[in-house]
Amino acid sequence: MITLDPAMLNRVVKPARYTGNEWNSIKKDHDTVSVTVALSLPDVYEVGMSNLGLKILYQILNNREDTAAERVYAPWVDMEAEMRERNIPLYTLESLKPVREFDIVGFSLQYEMSYSNVLNMLDLAGIPLFTAERDEHMPIIIGGGPCTFNAEPVADFFDCLVLGEGEEVMEDIIAAVSSWKKTGKVNGRSGILKSLAQIGGVYVPSLYDVTYHENGMVAEVLPNCPEAPLVVTKRVVKDLNKVEYATRPIVPFLDIVHDRIMLELFRGCTRGCRFCQAGVLYRPVRERRPELLLKMAKEMVDSTGYNEISLTSLSSADYSCLPDLVDSLMGELKEQGVSVSLPSLRIDSFSIDLAQKVQQVRKSGLTFAPEAGSQRMRDVINKGVTQKNLEDAVSAAFQAGWSTVKLYFMMGLPTETDEDVLGIADLAYKVLDLYKEIKGRRGAKVTVSVSCFVPKPHTPFQWFGQDLANEFERKQQLLKARLRDRSITFNWHDARTSFLEGAFARGDRRLGQVLLKAWQNGARFDGWSEYFKYDVWMDAFKTCEIDPYFYATRHRDFDEVMPWDHLSSGASKQFLQREYEQAVTEELTCDCRREHCSACGVCPGLGVEVLDWGSRA
Amino acid sequence: MAKLRLEITKGEEIRYISHLDYASAMERAIIRAKLPVAYSEGFNPHMKISFASALAVGVTSQAEYIDIECKEEIDVNQAVEHLKASLPVGIRIKGAAYMQGNVPALMAIVNLAAYEITVPLLAEDIGIIEDSIRWFNGAEAVLYTRESPKGKKEIEIKQYMAKPITLTALEKAVRLILEIRITPTGSIKPGEVLGALVAMFDLPVDIDNLLIHRTGLYISNANRQVSPVEL
Repeated sequence: MITLDPAMLNRVVKPARYTGNEWNSIKKDHDTVSVTVALSLPDVYEVGMSNLGLKILYQILNNREDTAAERVYAPWVDMEAEMRERNIPLYTLESLKPVREFDIVGFSLQYEMSYSNVLNMLDLAGIPLFTAERDEHMPIIIGGGPCTFNAEPVADFFDCLVLGEGEEVMEDIIAAVSSWKKTGKVNGRSGILKSLAQIGGVYVPSLYDVTYHENGMVAEVLPNCPEAPLVVTKRVVKDLNKVEYATRPIVPFLDIVHDRIMLELFRGCTRGCRFCQAGVLYRPVRERRPELLLKMAKEMVDSTGYNEISLTSLSSADYSCLPDLVDSLMGELKEQGVSVSLPSLRIDSFSIDLAQKVQQVRKSGLTFAPEAGSQRMRDVINKGVTQKNLEDAVSAAFQAGWSTVKLYFMMGLPTETDEDVLGIADLAYKVLDLYKEIKGRRGAKVTVSVSCFVPKPHTPFQWFGQDLANEFERKQQLLKARLRDRSITFNWHDARTSFLEGAFARGDRRLGQVLLKAWQNGARFDGWSEYFKYDVWMDAFKTCEIDPYFYATRHRDFDEVMPWDHLSSGASKQFLQREYEQAVTEELTCDCRREHCSACGVCPGLGVEVLDWGSRA
Repeated sequence: MAKLRLEITKGEEIRYISHLDYASAMERAIIRAKLPVAYSEGFNPHMKISFASALAVGVTSQAEYIDIECKEEIDVNQAVEHLKASLPVGIRIKGAAYMQGNVPALMAIVNLAAYEITVPLLAEDIGIIEDSIRWFNGAEAVLYTRESPKGKKEIEIKQYMAKPITLTALEKAVRLILEIRITPTGSIKPGEVLGALVAMFDLPVDIDNLLIHRTGLYISNANRQVSPVEL
C-alpha cells in the first residue's frame, strides 16, 4: 500500500481525485481473489469517472468473486510532479496498491489525443512501455473503446486490444488469465497472449506482422502464428436486456463531467451519418425494454442518491418508446425530487415537446447538431435533416419559451465549397430571424460551434483526405467575417489539434515511434488545449522521419490496404465504399431500423438483429 | 415541518474533500436513506439542509453539525439508522435531536471552533517550540497577510484567539490546541495561525505536512459553552 504524504495532497489541486473512498466503491482483499484488474481511462479523474463503459465493467468484474476491479486515472500535471519527486508509483484508488502489481491493466481508449497519457501512466506505474519488454510478472495491458478499431499507432505498447462491447469478452479474458495463473503461468507471456488471441474480439497486435510498399502504404497485415485469426471481428451483446448494467455506479465526492445517473436506453444508431464512426462501430440498434429501464432507474436512484437521470444513447430521441418512458420515469420519481434530462435532441418538433416535458425547470439553452450548413452538404453526409425540419424545431423551441440555441457543425467535409461553409452563417441568421418573426422582437442568442472534420476509420469517409490546417483556418476566418452579429457567438476548434488527431486516427504502427518521442519530450494531456504542444509533436514526426500529411491529408484509393483492414466492425468495406460514392452524388441512405436494410453486413455477419420495441408493439 | 439536527464527523478517509463535496455527499445520503426531507419551492428546488461552518479541504472533524428540515417528524432513532446505512465511509453520526420551535440557523449561532493541529517537528528541543508559542500567546497583536486570488488582505489574528494556544509533544511532532472565534465580521483559519507562527514566531515545524482536525464547534458566551446539539 502506498502512503500518501499530507504535504503532497495539501499542495495539489483537487486532492480528492487521488484518495478514493467514494460511495459504492468496492474494496476487496487481493488474497481472496484470483485476478486483479486496474480499470483506467487515460485522462483526469473527472473525465475518467464519467465513462459509462468503465462503470459497467467495474460492476460486472466486481460481481465475480474471483476478481477485484479497481480504478486509476491520469494524475493531473501537479500531482504527477509530486509523485515523480517522491518516487510514488501510479496506484489504484481502492487499495492504494501500485498498478504494476495488478494482473491486468485496462485502458479505455476514447480519443486519439489521450495516447500520450497512456505512455505516461505506464511510465509512472513503472511498467515497461513496450509489450516486447514486459515479462510474465508484469500486468497484461489491455485497451478497449472505439480507438481499438484502429489502435495500430499504439499497437507496440498494448498486449491486447478488445474490439466492441466489453460485457461478455471481459469475462472470457478473466477466465483465461485466471486459468493461466493457476497453471503457474504456463509458457509465460506468449502463452497467455496466444490464448487471449483465440477469444473472439481480442486482437493481440504482437501476433501480427505488417509489411509496407515502397511508397509507404501498408502491403499486408498477417498473423505470425496459428492462434491469431486473419481478421478480428468486434464483440457485440445480442440482447442488452440480458446483461448486467452499472446499477450501483460509484458516486464521486467531487463534481465530475457527467455527475448524474446515466440510463442507457439503447446501443447503436442506424441513421447512417457518413462521418460518424460510432454509428458504424456500435451497430446494430439494440434497445432495452422500457419496463427494464424503469426498474433500473429506480434502482439507481436508490443506490446513488443522485437526483438527475440522463437518458444516454447515441441518439436518445430515437428510442422507440421514449414518450411513455419519460412519462413513467417522471411520474414515479418526481416525489423524490428526481429530474430527467435528454443529452441530445433530434431536430424536429417532437423533440421540442419532449424537451419541454422534461425541462420543466429553467429554460436553459437547447442544442442541435445540423452538422452542416447547406442542404447539399447535409445530403452528402446523410444527415437526413431538411431546412424545414430545422425551422420547425427552432420555431417550436421559441414558441415554447426558449431563446438560446446552440448549433453544432463541422467544416472540411468531403466536397465542401465556400458556399457550404457560408451556409452555416445563413442558418444562424435564419434562426435569429425566426425568433423575431415569432416573438416580434430581437432577443435570441445563437452559439455556433464548428469543429474540424477528422475522417475516421470504418466510416464511409475513411478514404478522404482531411483539409490542411491552413485551409481550416481560412474557412474559419471566412465564417468569422460573416458572423458579425452580436447575438451570435462563434466557437471553432483548433485546426492543428484536429490535424494531429487526423494523423493518429488513420495511422499505422510506425506512429508508435512518434508517440514515444513526443511523450519523451513532454507531450501529455493533448486533449487539453492548455497542454497541447503542437511543436513537440511536429518535432517528433521530423525526428522519426515520418510525414504526418501522409496519414491525415492524403486521399486514399478504394483498393489501398488500410492499416485496420484486419480489424472488423462487421460493416463491409463494400458498404462503406458504396456510401462514399453515394455521398459524392448527394444520394441519401435510409435508416435500416425503420425502412429497408442497407446491407452493411453487420446483422448477418455477427448473427445479431435490430431490437426496436416500438415497432413490434 | 421538523428540524433534525445531527452531530456528524469528517474522517481521515475523506480528509481531502471540500465543504461543497461534503455537503453534496450528505445530500445524496439523505436521498438514499429516503428521509422525508423538505425542498425549497421554485424552478430549481434544493434540499433544505444547512451546516454550522464550512470545513476546508485537508481538515477532518469530530464535530460537524447539520440541520435537516423534514416534512414530517419520524422517529429519531429510525432516521439515524436509515442514514447510517447510507453514509459513505468517513461520515459517522454522533448525535441527533429534533430542534423544537423556531430555532435560529446553525451558521448564526456557532461562534467558537476548537482545533488540533498536528505537525512534524524540525527541531529536537521542545523548549524552542514552547518559547515560540509563549511568545505568540503573549503578543498584543499579530498581523497576518492573507493572500488569495482576489488579492492581499491584512488581518489581526489575536482578536480571534479565544484562548492561549496549548501544546502536546508527540514523537517527532507536536500537537497544538487552538480555540478560534467565529464572528459576524470574520475569523481566521487554523492553517493561517500556523503560518503566522512559522513566519513570525520562528516555530520550527514542517508546515507542508500539517494535519488539521476540528474537535468542536460551540455556542459560547460568558456563562457557558455548549455544542449545537446540547442546546
